[in-house]
Amino acid sequence: MKCPPRLSVWLLAAATVVVGIASAADWPAFRGADGLGVAPGETIRTAWSESEGIAWRADLPGRSVASPIVVGDLVVTTASSGPRQDRLHVVAYDRETGRPRWQRRFTATGRTLTHPTSAVASCTPASDAARIVALFSSCDLFALDLDGRLVWQRNLAVEHPRAGNDVGMGSSPRIIQTPAGGVVVVQIDCQGDAFAAGIDLADGEDRWLVERRKIASWATPLELACPGGPGVLLQNPEGLELREAATGKLAWSWEGDCSGIPMTTASGELVCIPSDGLTAVVPGGPGRPAWRQPKLSCGIASPLAFGGSLATINRGGVLVLADAASGKVRKQLRLAGSFWASPILVGELLVAVNKEGTAFLVRVGEEPMIVAQNTLPGSFTATPAVADGSLFLQSESTLWKTLPPPQKNGDGSE
Amino acid sequence: MRAVEFVCLSASVMAAAGIGISRAVAAEPPASLSEAVAIAARLAKTEGSPAAPAAQADRLSLIEPEMLLPCLAAFAETTPGGANWLAHGLDRAVERMAGRLPLDAVAGFVIDDTRPAAGRVLASEWLEKADPPRAAAAVAGMIDDPALPLRYKAIDARLTAAAAAGPEAELAACRGLLGSARDVEQVERIAARLEQAGEAVDVAEVLGFLRRWRLSEPFDNRGGVGFAKVYPPEAAATPDTDSWREVAAEGPHGEVDLNGAIGTKKGVLAYAAAEVDMPRGRTAEVRIGSPCAVAVWVNGEPVMAHEIYHASEAIDQYVAEAEFRAGTNLVLVKCCQNEQTEPWAGEWKFQLRICDPLGTPLGVQP
Repeated sequence: MKCPPRLSVWLLAAATVVVGIASAADWPAFRGADGLGVAPGETIRTAWSESEGIAWRADLPGRSVASPIVVGDLVVTTASSGPRQDRLHVVAYDRETGRPRWQRRFTATGRTLTHPTSAVASCTPASDAARIVALFSSCDLFALDLDGRLVWQRNLAVEHPRAGNDVGMGSSPRIIQTPAGGVVVVQIDCQGDAFAAGIDLADGEDRWLVERRKIASWATPLELACPGGPGVLLQNPEGLELREAATGKLAWSWEGDCSGIPMTTASGELVCIPSDGLTAVVPGGPGRPAWRQPKLSCGIASPLAFGGSLATINRGGVLVLADAASGKVRKQLRLAGSFWASPILVGELLVAVNKEGTAFLVRVGEEPMIVAQNTLPGSFTATPAVADGSLFLQSESTLWKTLPPPQKNGDGSE
Repeated sequence: MRAVEFVCLSASVMAAAGIGISRAVAAEPPASLSEAVAIAARLAKTEGSPAAPAAQADRLSLIEPEMLLPCLAAFAETTPGGANWLAHGLDRAVERMAGRLPLDAVAGFVIDDTRPAAGRVLASEWLEKADPPRAAAAVAGMIDDPALPLRYKAIDARLTAAAAAGPEAELAACRGLLGSARDVEQVERIAARLEQAGEAVDVAEVLGFLRRWRLSEPFDNRGGVGFAKVYPPEAAATPDTDSWREVAAEGPHGEVDLNGAIGTKKGVLAYAAAEVDMPRGRTAEVRIGSPCAVAVWVNGEPVMAHEIYHASEAIDQYVAEAEFRAGTNLVLVKCCQNEQTEPWAGEWKFQLRICDPLGTPLGVQP
């Protein structure tokens, strides 16, 4: 572990995960505004199916494993189509009706081969409520305004010809507000031209670019504060780097075997790393881990931190709940199926969607229990979005919005 | 002086987000056809600044219907990013035109195979949205079209129609279309239908994989050192392969299985050589697929090198142009296995074919 001495008194609070300028009612990036996947004030209905509890469904213009985002009155997602999957789509649906508001098509300039479980539309878009950035596995990055006007584009595999991999790139872009404006952080980890860059949201120019180890990873950057201001945590199978979002300057690093798919999360002063199950460390703190818990092993889904608790879903489909301060396991619940989508927390309900389209709703109070299972057709790898009491669930071909929870009368009836 | 038009009005959204500036973008329509065409040409060849073309795309989005096809012709010369800027401006222009889209002219552009492929594909998408039957009719005859997405659609449409007409018609269509298809998945689908009916298809032959190879003995690649190391076979312009063992590529994907030929090993590499005859000297694409690190030479000239291990594999995974001479050419492949121990990291193999840019196989093995 490497830690600059000046960081030894560094205090990091979970609250330092900074919310951008998107409305609190929005869900503007992978796992929400802060990347933690928690919507504390939301309530959702607990029952839905293809024929019940659905506000609308919309067909995607192609294949997608990206997650939808919610920005203002739009729900935005991406897809790819064509025999070579090189037609790239960014689509904005009306949040209320599900009707397409606009659809933009581009042509991939980088590699479009992927594993069958992935897709060229694999990265979740991100927005600051004024612009939407969409990154594809082909390393094409587009910035559009909310009317679908292309503001800038970067063809990162043209600039870095060996960038990309044929499994499919999966790290989603993260928009971080800095004193000098928004920065789009992209993490292009691969065996070829691996790099991370902070790209100016306003004009698409590089603010900074750092070479990375030539090793593949699919983890999405996490925003964390660091002494120099807003920071970004980058993860690959060999560890973590925390860099200043404005400059790319290295603030802290952690070395250790680490998963390349589920992303690290934050709880209080800890970052919880998918390493040896979960490993909790204090960035800038003492070198030794605060705890390690092998039982909190992550499969593909990222760990979830909420209210002093942690949740992971392992490759066997077992949900493990633990105390975040100690790593002590509180409860294990066997779900079913395989989980590619990351769980989110909506109010007191943990929502975990398996690949077969079954959403498990787990009440995570004193006595955690599965309270509902609702299934939609299709293959689901996208992490749900939530806004204004509705879930946005996306299969590889279809986007669904659930109705808000039923209104309750004074006597408790619906 | 034309009125300045405002596009992309979303000031209310900005206000809601607490941003105190208007995002309204003022753009002036091109004053003439020649100005519109000049804007399209500049956009098509965009390089450099990521954002600078946005204002030009705004202007292009304001063209009149009669300017559309001359601007579409700008796809004849594009940069990768420029093609997207041009398509974006024209897509928005077509959205504005709504019912004023010149359907006859657009259909004519789609059909004209002397026009740039990317422009024809874009025009076919406009037509498909505005008049689906007309779009289908336009692509119906394009089974040998140089625009591969249009060719794919035409073949798919014929297969679908033939299947609806009955098994005999479907099989006849499959036989006739097998030589036209260039998309690998489409070729395999057609072949599978014929094989289902008892008609053998040599898919590796149809796709043009080189199948007669000679293999060197393995060399050291422990620690990955071998990929960059120049072993004797690549040091010689024309390696003496007489003593190398003969090996045949197998299966419909023409795979050269080095584990099978040499034995399952880790931290090793081997060279494979194949001869291919060309009727005339020409530039051609070398297309290789492998889960392992590979490098390729043609007649001693380096063609490509990819030091990527066990990150998926696919037919035509890596493509690069090479110069071939009339007569016999020597293709040399260096295929490196690393020391990963995961169960999915055991394969040591490659497949290779030589094609024109459309994927038509070239060359004959002596």
